[in-house]
Formats: sequence, structure tokens, C-alpha cells
Amino acid sequence: MRFIIEHLSKRFEQKEVLKDIDFTFQEGKIYGLLGRNGAGKTTLFNCLNRDIKADGGAFFLEENGVGREVAAEDIGYVLSTPTVPEFLTGREFLKFFLDINGSSIENPKSLDEYFDMMSIMPEDRDKLLKDYSHGMKNKMQMLINIIAQPKILLLDEPLTSLDVVVAEEMKQLLRSLKEGRITIFSTHIMDLALDLCDEIVLLSHGELEVVEKSNLDNQEFKEKIIAALKEETYA
Amino acid sequence: MLKTLRLSFSLKNTYRVNGILHSLKQIPLLGRLLPAALYQVRGLKIFANVLSILWEFVSIFLFKCIYFLTMVCGLGVLCRSAPSQLTFLHILLFLTLIGSYMNTSLFDPTRDKYYAMILMRMNARSYTLVNYGYALLKTVVGFLPFTILFGLDRGVPLWLCLMIPFCVAGAKLTVAAYSLRDYEKNGYVRNENKLQKFAWLLTGVLLALAYIPPAVGVVLPLEISAVLWLVWIPAGIVSLRRVVTFRYYREINQELLAQMFIQMDTVKKAAKTASEKAISADASITSRKKGFEYLNELFIKRHRKILWKSTTRIAGICAILSGGVLLLMLLSPGTKADINQMVMTWLPYFAFIMYMINRGTSFTQALFMNCDHSLLTYSFYKQPGFVLKLFQIRLREIMKINAVPALVIGVGLSLILYVSGGTDNPLNYVVLLVSVLAMSLFFSIHYLTVYFLLQPYTAGTEMKSGTYRIVMILTYAACYALMNLRLPILVFGAACIAFCVLYSIVACILVYKFAPKTFRLRT
Repeated sequence: MRFIIEHLSKRFEQKEVLKDIDFTFQEGKIYGLLGRNGAGKTTLFNCLNRDIKADGGAFFLEENGVGREVAAEDIGYVLSTPTVPEFLTGREFLKFFLDINGSSIENPKSLDEYFDMMSIMPEDRDKLLKDYSHGMKNKMQMLINIIAQPKILLLDEPLTSLDVVVAEEMKQLLRSLKEGRITIFSTHIMDLALDLCDEIVLLSHGELEVVEKSNLDNQEFKEKIIAALKEETYA
Repeated sequence: MLKTLRLSFSLKNTYRVNGILHSLKQIPLLGRLLPAALYQVRGLKIFANVLSILWEFVSIFLFKCIYFLTMVCGLGVLCRSAPSQLTFLHILLFLTLIGSYMNTSLFDPTRDKYYAMILMRMNARSYTLVNYGYALLKTVVGFLPFTILFGLDRGVPLWLCLMIPFCVAGAKLTVAAYSLRDYEKNGYVRNENKLQKFAWLLTGVLLALAYIPPAVGVVLPLEISAVLWLVWIPAGIVSLRRVVTFRYYREINQELLAQMFIQMDTVKKAAKTASEKAISADASITSRKKGFEYLNELFIKRHRKILWKSTTRIAGICAILSGGVLLLMLLSPGTKADINQMVMTWLPYFAFIMYMINRGTSFTQALFMNCDHSLLTYSFYKQPGFVLKLFQIRLREIMKINAVPALVIGVGLSLILYVSGGTDNPLNYVVLLVSVLAMSLFFSIHYLTVYFLLQPYTAGTEMKSGTYRIVMILTYAACYALMNLRLPILVFGAACIAFCVLYSIVACILVYKFAPKTFRLRT
């Protein structure tokens, strides 16, 4: 499976944020999306998730050489600030999700197995989500986004505000999930990107480009990335 | 001194101008015509500057005018038993006392002050004194025309009319000086927007003193009134010294504005907690349904407080009112003819009443804040089939909620019509009941449709759609305009039913066609 973006463009009035995004993502890899503030990472995600309409271009999934439209359920989008329906308990939210998506989930597990998988403690499972801590809300959001096993998983700065233990759990989880899907992960933390991602992709001048690691060591690789990003003149 | 005045003015003016330009940009169509770089455009800047200066004048005179027309003269009319000259002085005196601590300008944490003293680090003492001086000047200048106009009209001697604005300023100064002294002694910083219990109690007492004695014909005699007024002038002069020589303006403002900064930050949070508070914590609430029905049932049950409680309360009040009218007709049969006439022609009036009591806005708001705001970030929730399913379920719920008071009103009106002498055409009863129900149906569909088609909020729960605001205002205006319409039941009722049914059909078609695309978070 490949995820192909062709000539995607988006402008806000005079400002051309996405100029000509032309890129092919491969199955089974985690892509680290780096870019300066204001480079358009969130805009790109919003376009892919169809929260905003792109001005031009197309994107589609290619399976066994056949291209097809990306449907809403193909994409999981994890936001940096976790949002969960406050009036439900964790268990109710999960049950609701499974109720309406049950048919499309391969070998579904029991609710408690899912909670165990995310290490959400038994005593928290029947609490209203409004009383969940930030980290737990984040786990809940991640859980809902991965149960349906979307083909594409978009993560916008997902680990930045988590404590070190939860962040480590999430990293492990993402690594274990990468088979069979495309994970695109935007972050400002270079070490995290280098640690977790298989490919580093830069969004600069409204275009996407891979930074080849070739035979550089980590330090040299970092310097190469920074040098590439510095060309961009965003503040 | 002059430099500080000039600087603080230009600072205030700059953000006012930018505020005006920003709101211009929010207007649909017009906003699209304006360039992104509108903050650079000279012509627009000048236009906004003119508006900003106009606003400054309005704020000097208009509010004082309204104050005199309502609080002093308007309510003063109720006190006809006392001489109007003395009533005027009496009420104004007590209101001035309240204003002296409720409206100080010195202890009002405003954005201008925050920008100037905290962000720009202007000299706190000179900034405060210059602006305080300006505020007092505005008070005097703003009061003068109205004390003369309204005072002379009521026979207050001219010299007193001329003195009163200075007395008002003196009273403000005295309270300010006292509060500054309080800070020097006890370190307590007053915040006029956060009054203590004692101050509220005092306000209650002063308000009572302002209006109750004149209402029963007791007012302060002219001599005492004049003395109580004029005493503020020497008091003000003495206080002025303390205000000018006070040394801790930075400390005071830093504390005052620190609270304000926290407030600015927490406004959003406060809205969030407020909507979260509406969620019932009752652990016994569960549901046996599945899927979207499950979601809906839990939502309705956990939001019973804001959805069903108020609608049953409104229904109860409507029932009591209808009962009252029925009782009135039984007790004094002479009113029957008038009431019959009213019911037969006042149906358009009920469009506005139905507008006022419908729960559409609070329903959609709760839906967004506590449910869609988060669920719309998940792509499964946005699948076209699910959006429509959700619309159906929610339409059913809001119709149920709005139907209860509508049913009570419809039945009440029919009963009133019957008791007041009835009508030649029994169809009137049916039309009455059905048209009220149709109106409730209209409002249910209207709000939900607009919500699904325009979804005005962003992920940060910020309202971002000018179109949505305009639709809301138009809805209000249309209902308000209907109040002035007097039509026979059959004519208006039939038109109303036809309109509501037609609207509902069109609305549903629009939702089915567009909602899967429009029901998203704004970005």
C-alpha cells in the first residue's frame, strides 16, 4: 500500500502555505514531519483529513497497484490537545465507538482488553472523561484512533505534553502499530523524531522533501536537517 | 505629563482601531473583499480612527444621558408625591454615592492599563494620574449638560446644577483616596469589579434609600440635600492631594492587573468548566441502547438539568398563566369580549413567545461544547451516514423538548378561546393548536439545521462564523417584527403552518445534501 499526494496546494488569501506537495508514503513506516513554525504542518494534516478544502491537487491510496479515494475511516488523526466527549465515561465512549464501527474491526477484543492495552487502570474506566487527567485523555484519544486500524495515522505533536512514562508507553505503542499502515508524525522535537521515525520529511517552501540519512551519524544528520530548515524564512 | 497622555491615547486608539478592523473582517462578504493586509491600509485606518474618536464622545455623553433618562428621571417618575426638584437631587445623590465606589476608574482592571503598565512598562504613577485625571474630566464634562438640562427642568437652582458634576468628581476622589490609604495601611487592593459582601450590602441599602423614601413622598429638604452635595467639594480637594502624592501606583496596579491577566487566560476555561458543570455526575445513569441511540440517550440523561428541567418549568409557567387568564374570565366576565378579540388576532405575537421559550440555542450549544467539539475530531464521527443519523436523532429530541411547552400553550389558548365566548368556526381551535405546534417544530428544525449547516465553532470553542451570527440576528428580527402583526387566527395560522412545513422540508433536504460536508470543526 502506498499513500500518494499529487500537487496538493492551499493558499490563505495571498499566502501560499502548501505550494506543490508531491509525495509518496510507503506502508509500514513512521514518517517524522519537521517544519518551522507556520510552515503549514497542521494545514497539511487538516487538508488530508478534509477539515479544510485544498485548492488543488489530489491524494489517494494505492493498494495492489489500484488507486482509490481516501475515505474518512481510512484516517486516524490524533491532535496535540486530546479531545474526548466529557459527558461519557471511558467505557461508554469505547462501547459507543465499537457499537458503530464493530463490523469494520478485525478480531475485536473486549472493552477491558483494550483498556489493558493502553494501561488505563480499572478504577478509571468508569469515570466521566471530564475528570480524566491530560495523559489519560490522550491515551483514550489514541485508543479510539487505533482500534479501527486506519490505513493512515496522522499525529500532530502528540507526545509533547505527556509525562515521561506515558510518552514512553506511547512510543512503544506507535512502534508496535506501524506494520500495515502509514504513520505521519509531526513534531518540533528533533530527538523524538530521530528516535521514533524511519524517515524524516521536511515541509519547507510549501513542499515536502525527504532528508536522506545515508551514512551520516546522528549529529551530522541533525545538522543537515537544521541547515535545510534554516533556508526557510518563516519566523 | 502631556507625553504620557499622548502615548496612552495612541495606545488605546491603536488597539481600538485594530479591534474595529478585526470585526469588519468578520462580516461575511465584506470580510472577503478586505485584503489580508488590511491593518496596513491607510484609508481603512482613518475610517476606524474616526469611529474610535466617535466612540470616545459617545462614551462621554451617551451613557450619562441614558443614566439620567432611566435611573434618575425614569424611575423618578414613579415618585410623584414629592416635589420633582427634591426627588431629582435625592435620587441622584444616593446613586452618586454608589457610583463613587462602583465606578472609580482607578480600581478598574482594564486592558488599556494592562497593555500600558505591564506590557509596555510605562511609568505607573504618571500613567495612572494622567488617565485618572482624564476620567474625572470626562465625568464632569459628561455630567454638566445633563445636570443643567434635567436639573433646570425640575427647578433645581442653576448654581447647584453647575456644582453637582464637581461634587460627583469629589465623591469619587474621596473614595479613591480612602482606598489608597487602606492600601498603605493594610495592603488591601480594591477591585471595583469584585466587590466584597459589605459593598454589595451597602449598595442595597443606598439603592433602597434612593428610591423608597421618594416613592412614599419623603425626600431630603433642599438645604440638607445641598449640604450633602457640596461637602464633597472640599473633601475632594483634600483627597486630591493624597491621590497625587500616593507612591505605590505600580504595586497597586500590578496586583490589580495580575488578577486581570489570570482572568483573561481563564475566560475560555471558565466557559469550558461552565459547560462541563451541566453534566450530571449521577453514576446511576446508564443506557441499554446501542450506537448513536446510546450516545444520545446518555447525552440527554446527563444534560437533563439544562434541557428538560427548564422546558418543564416553562411549560409549568405557561400552564399557570393560562389558568390565570381562565380564572380572570370566570371572576370578571366583562373581560371575556376583549380576551376573545385578542386571542382571535394575536396569534403572530406567539411567534415571538415561541422564539423566546424554545430551547434550540441552549441545546445546540450544549451539543457542541460537551459532545461534538470533541467527537468531531474523530474521523469516524464525520462519516456522512452517521452525520445524518445523528441529525435525525437530535431533531427528534429537540422536537420533544420544545413540544411540551408548545402543547401547553396551544391547549391553553384553545381553552381561553372557548371560555371567552368561542368562535363560529371550530376550525379555529385546530389551527390554533396546530400552528403553535408548527412554530415549535420550526424553531427545533431551524436551530439544528443552522447548526449542522454552518457549525460555527472552532476546536477552541471560539465562534467563528459571521454568517451564523447574522442568521441568529435575522431570526430574532423576524420574530420581533411578527409581534406587530395583527391577523385573524385562520389567516396567520394557515400561513404559519404552511411556512413551517415547507421550511422543514427544505431544511431537511439541505441537511441531507450538505451537512456531511459542512458539519466539521471550523479552522
